[in-house]
Amino acid sequence: MALVVHMLILVGVVLLHVAYATYFERKVIGHMQVRMGPTRVGPLGLLQPIADGIKLFFKEDVIPGCADRTLFYAAPIICLVAAMANLAVLPFASGLVLAKINIGLLFVFAMSSLASYGVVLAGWASNSKFSFLGGLRSMSQVISYEIALGLSLVGVMMMAGSLDLSEIVAAQQQSRFGIYAIPQFLGFFVFVVAMLAETNRAPFDLPEAESELVAGYFTEYSGIRFSLFFMAEYIGMLVMASIATICFLGGWSGPFAVPHVPFFWFAAKIYGIMFFYFWLRATLPRYRYDQLMSLGWKVLIPLALLNIVVTGFVKTIF
Amino acid sequence: MLIQPRPKRSLLETVLLFEILQGMALTLKRLFSKPVTRQYPDEKRQPFLGFRGKHALVRDPQTGESSCVACLRCATVCPSQCIYIRYHEEEGSGRRVVDRYDIEALRCIYCGYCAEVCPVNAIVLTESYEYSAYDRQTNYFDRGRLLNNWDAFVKESGHDPVAYVNPFWRPRGVDEATLAGPRRRKVPEEWTRAGQPVGRLCRSQDSEVLAEGVQR
Amino acid sequence: MTVQQILFFYFATVIVLLSLGAVTMRNSVYSVLMVLAMFFHMAGIYLTLNAEFLAAVQVVVYAGAVLVLYLFVVFLVNLKQEARITRFVKHPALGGVMAGALFLMLLFAFGSFSLGPQGAWPVAAIEEATFTRALAMELFTRYLLPFEVVGLILLIAVVGGIVLAKREESQEGAGRETAGSSITRGEA
Repeated sequence: MALVVHMLILVGVVLLHVAYATYFERKVIGHMQVRMGPTRVGPLGLLQPIADGIKLFFKEDVIPGCADRTLFYAAPIICLVAAMANLAVLPFASGLVLAKINIGLLFVFAMSSLASYGVVLAGWASNSKFSFLGGLRSMSQVISYEIALGLSLVGVMMMAGSLDLSEIVAAQQQSRFGIYAIPQFLGFFVFVVAMLAETNRAPFDLPEAESELVAGYFTEYSGIRFSLFFMAEYIGMLVMASIATICFLGGWSGPFAVPHVPFFWFAAKIYGIMFFYFWLRATLPRYRYDQLMSLGWKVLIPLALLNIVVTGFVKTIF
Repeated sequence: MLIQPRPKRSLLETVLLFEILQGMALTLKRLFSKPVTRQYPDEKRQPFLGFRGKHALVRDPQTGESSCVACLRCATVCPSQCIYIRYHEEEGSGRRVVDRYDIEALRCIYCGYCAEVCPVNAIVLTESYEYSAYDRQTNYFDRGRLLNNWDAFVKESGHDPVAYVNPFWRPRGVDEATLAGPRRRKVPEEWTRAGQPVGRLCRSQDSEVLAEGVQR
Repeated sequence: MTVQQILFFYFATVIVLLSLGAVTMRNSVYSVLMVLAMFFHMAGIYLTLNAEFLAAVQVVVYAGAVLVLYLFVVFLVNLKQEARITRFVKHPALGGVMAGALFLMLLFAFGSFSLGPQGAWPVAAIEEATFTRALAMELFTRYLLPFEVVGLILLIAVVGGIVLAKREESQEGAGRETAGSSITRGEA
């Protein structure tokens, strides 16, 4: 029973986070582009996400005539479930984790690979050329960058000697620098780039490139189903930011302990990374498709392999 | 094909993603700058002099009616042909009397030719720009509506309906004396010839007049 | 029956049903999805055997990478045309007889199944050391040579694939290069 309550609290907090991440994004990008972002609904536009949510909920749910209905219904749910399942294994603070499993990191990989099915099935089931192209792009992008993502974390696994996310944080606290981002700077760099590609964010947002593919794989979706994809994307960003925090930035540990809020540093680091996401989106233009592929295969994967080799040598010598 | 040479970058700059960092520094700096947003319904923009907005028929202060003489120049010159005029000739004098004067504003392209050619300054484009509507009928202006538009504009802008004349209600770069129609409203001296803020003459010497208009 | 047995029977039944579905479905995208669901159930079986690392790798590698490539192929190849092939064996009954014989053979072989001797890692030891660690200990100490040999074979396969793909491209690339240089000369 307590587990169910914990789950509900977690889902509620995360959905609220999703709502306000969109607000945060619009504000940050707005001000970076010398605009203001939302200001109208509520003080400083703070109720804007709520208004958006209500609007999406009551919008008409349009299904294309030639769509494959079963898969069209299933695709957003697959996406959302894959994103939300990750939340169970994330340790937000010492002991504050829903399911402490000893392959936490691999579980996250498994779920993020499942998420690509939601995307590609959405593209296929919509029976529209934009959706289909978006789905194909997303699939090849996610597969390519998942390799770099996994390899970049191998260095962390080697240093921590564990796949359990809580133990990785604990091992980090005892390491010389306190965070793995310094000794694993190469892995951290590869992870950050692969993280952006994995979550389909700018500058790697080719699957949903507005200027060429309308909205990519969710072009045909509307109303509540569209919002499921939207939630999945933002939860995916949250999960990737959490993995970066846990594996490279020391998780919930910080320079000083904040009383009563054990997850303070974790949240602060996550929001720092979210800000970084938005910052990049406001700065960089989109990659061309062949550049994206050659970056992934010819730069990031060799770098990640180099990182593994160097980490292995250093670990055996010292 | 134009081949653009790659900008020269040192190896260190490439490795450290120098250009991306430069771009990010710029966006971060902009984050703390003041937004240029104009909060439209709250802060209304003052239109520039010569802004071509809502159509109006000038109400003649003497007769209380439009001074249109049904010469049909506006309907002839209109590129989108959105002006419709019906008239009959008065028996005896042969004077033309306007029966209908309609403008379909949704088809108008706001070139302002009608206001320029009008020999009596009857049809004008006012500086009012807020007249969007939920149906097409609202922006189909018949004579009564056009006259009302003028009244509303005069009331809103506070201009003197007798003396107000906009220099843009006449062809640009043309001497006042060569214009047809003695009943044309006289443009003040500083707006004519050398002082005219429009046309070829205004390029250099009259830029301060324009600047004045911009500041307004 | 213990919980583990119930789970096993559930997973086994569903795996058989999903496999049947995968070969009988008319729509090949649905077939691939059946296989996807089957992989998840196989991962479930691994989980009941305390092999959580294998379960995760099953999902990451097979579901996340291999099957996605299958899906790619299904999307890009016109399967409606491919499906109209002539039958290899004229009589469908012949295939049925062969399949039945194979099944019977498997059933007979089933009787000779016996449990092997207990290994170095009983369940309690695996649970204590965690499966990932136990697997790594075995792979990188006792079975290091086979592990490296497998790695080498896979590397050879990768290199071979690149060579095959590269050869065609280099010929095309050579052709393109001459065309490109002639254009540059023309412009100059």
